[in-house]
Amino acid sequence: MKALLATFAGVFLMTFLATPTMGAGWFWDVGNGLGFAAFAGLLYLTITSGRRLDIRAHQVLGYGVLAIAAVHVFWFMLGDGAVVYFMKLGAPDYMWHGIVSFLLLGFLITVALVPDRFLVHRNYPSFKYWHRVVAIITIGTATYHIVVSDFYLDAWYQGLLFALLAMAVAFGRSYWIRLGQLPLARTATYLAVSLVFAVAFSAIRNIPA
Amino acid sequence: MKITFAVLVLVAVLIVVFGSPVASEVPVKSHQYGSPEPILPMNFAHLDHVSENCVLCHHNYTDDTGGGLCMNCHVTDQDVWPLLENQFHDLCRDCHAEKAAAGVDGGPPRECMACHLGDDLP
Repeated sequence: MKALLATFAGVFLMTFLATPTMGAGWFWDVGNGLGFAAFAGLLYLTITSGRRLDIRAHQVLGYGVLAIAAVHVFWFMLGDGAVVYFMKLGAPDYMWHGIVSFLLLGFLITVALVPDRFLVHRNYPSFKYWHRVVAIITIGTATYHIVVSDFYLDAWYQGLLFALLAMAVAFGRSYWIRLGQLPLARTATYLAVSLVFAVAFSAIRNIPA
Repeated sequence: MKITFAVLVLVAVLIVVFGSPVASEVPVKSHQYGSPEPILPMNFAHLDHVSENCVLCHHNYTDDTGGGLCMNCHVTDQDVWPLLENQFHDLCRDCHAEKAAAGVDGGPPRECMACHLGDDLP
């Protein structure tokens, strides 16, 4: 639970460094708060992937992260009639990075499950290697989507710190392993924390002082 | 799980193609202001912007790049037209966001529909 809260705090606090009260309305900020929660979940799944990982718990938590990411996607697609024009050919590259990161997250989860895993990977070491590689690419594309969309991380140092956080998680596995196997939060806990952080994120930006 | 994910992706593709079935309003692209390709409608009211310096938007008043309304060049000039979306997003949205960051009510900083429903305001 501590590691989960620390990951969420790290991700969300960065958005408050420069313009903590700048919001775009409840609808927009809750939707993006859920997007940040999905990203925090992705980082948390990576940090907790030690050598003695509870694979079943990791898998079920992955479903939770995909669910929050899906809510972020459909929240905007369904709620704002103009957003779909930002998801077609000619859309900005940061939107395409967001789409790719969502598809890769789904790919990571579905291809990790037996029997489909055997169709793609001949042995377990090969699966583990490629699972890590695709996870790093997923974190990279999601980071690009968040930083370059340039709203909550508008100051240059926010973008830099956010990218450094993502890189530390993606490439710092040797360090995370030394921390020992961190206990994995339950999916229900992750979903509840996501909701609380998304609402708090929006409230701070939309409730007048 | 793979079936659930495939259904999610399929539904997303259908929404992109046919539009949101639940959004209260959905803008439709069309040829506007003489644009060579269909573009989204935009709303803009001068009355909401009277406190701004005119040349902030009407740069042509001082830099000799032509005359007339914004759209006279920005959708008809072959060199400028491809930049329409980026230029207008940068100008309008960034200005609104700067005001929001300063705690001033300065127009919608992000919501797409707040600007992409057409109007006939002067």
